[in-house]
Amino acid sequence: MNLPPFRKSYGGRVVLDFPGGELPGDGVCAVIGTNGSGKSTLARLAAGVLEPDRGCPGWPGRPRVGYLPQHSYPFQMSVRANVLLNAAGRGRKEARERADALLDRLGILALADKPAHHLSGGETARMALARLLMRDYGLLVLDEPTAAMDIRSTALAEELVGGYQARTGCAVLWITHSLKQARRTARAVFFLQEGQLAEQGPAETLLTAPRTEALRRFLDFYAL
Amino acid sequence: MVTALEQAVALVLSGDGLLLNIISVTLRMSIPSSVISLLLGVPLGTLLAFCAFRGRGALVVVNRTLMGLPPVVCGLLCYMLFSGVGPFRHFRLMYTIPLMIIAQVILITPIVIGSMESFAQRIAPAVRETARGLGLSRRRAFLLLVNESRYQIFSAYLLAFSRAIAEVGAVSMVGGAIAYKTNVMTTAIMNYTNMGNFTLGVALGLILLAMSLVLNLAVSLLQGRLSR
Repeated sequence: MNLPPFRKSYGGRVVLDFPGGELPGDGVCAVIGTNGSGKSTLARLAAGVLEPDRGCPGWPGRPRVGYLPQHSYPFQMSVRANVLLNAAGRGRKEARERADALLDRLGILALADKPAHHLSGGETARMALARLLMRDYGLLVLDEPTAAMDIRSTALAEELVGGYQARTGCAVLWITHSLKQARRTARAVFFLQEGQLAEQGPAETLLTAPRTEALRRFLDFYAL
Repeated sequence: MVTALEQAVALVLSGDGLLLNIISVTLRMSIPSSVISLLLGVPLGTLLAFCAFRGRGALVVVNRTLMGLPPVVCGLLCYMLFSGVGPFRHFRLMYTIPLMIIAQVILITPIVIGSMESFAQRIAPAVRETARGLGLSRRRAFLLLVNESRYQIFSAYLLAFSRAIAEVGAVSMVGGAIAYKTNVMTTAIMNYTNMGNFTLGVALGLILLAMSLVLNLAVSLLQGRLSR
């Protein structure tokens, strides 16, 4: 799948000028970069929740996108009811079984009847991921989905997304600040710097043998 | 002062006919006007927070201006519309409870809209983005936002009802404070105080405060129970 070019500016300041890029069909594409490099803007543009600048062609043939924002909102209802919000097209029994299976895979089935707004940050992030994965999408856009999770929950989330990707064959755009996570999960990487796509390529070569000085410095800094 | 208070309490306890009628008229006006304002204000206020469109900011400013609409101006407007020379004179609503309700709805609805809009606009971006990320329809996202604002609806109703029972300017202009017909607690307090009848004025004041207290307590209890 090809991501089209996106351009976004605020008040004349260009925050993202993305030339387009190819997403692997058989794995995750990690998006890395420093704060303010345009990662979340790219995620929101790809998800269609943010309009690109006028004159930008946009994405006419956009696949069905599932998008997990950085701070997904826990609606004031039970955890299970939150997950079932995204159960379109499924029968009640089937939807409940799938919701419970997802919650179980993420280790929060015991919290299914608790009010979602009483969960911790990490539990909310797991619930939000379970809620998103209730449906099948052509493209999954995840904006730092594990930022609030501990190591164990992060591993569960990565395994779940990997399984979902393998089952549905969808493309996955995964925004992350963790190079270790990018190495574990991604087949391809986009490296953004100051709103530009500074480098892109297969994860194993890009993360070990960067071509640009910017990425080399970035990797060195994270290696500290 | 103490004597007036003692007499007022005695009057309240005696179940005086005039007093009961004033309370009845007050409730027959305040409950419908606050409910209608709520039914109009909740969706409009939430919609104003939910939708991003050109002119939204201007609408918010207009509504905030209407929130401060002086009751006498509202009364004057209704008077001009419904009195013998007004375009709506054929409805024959002058000095009736329905016109008092209309005047109050004009006054209170902007307050409910403002209350809902200022609450909902704080959570609307997150709700909208989450719902859109899941691929839910705009209608579904809007209903979710209304659901998220449900505790605020209680507060908005409290605000509407408190304003309705405490309002005097507009209802005296369009209702005329006619005894046994359109005299509500606030207009009665004003009239009886002007006539030197402090006992009835104090009694009505006590009842007004008690009603407000009971309603606030009930809504607080309900909010507490629902938010658990």
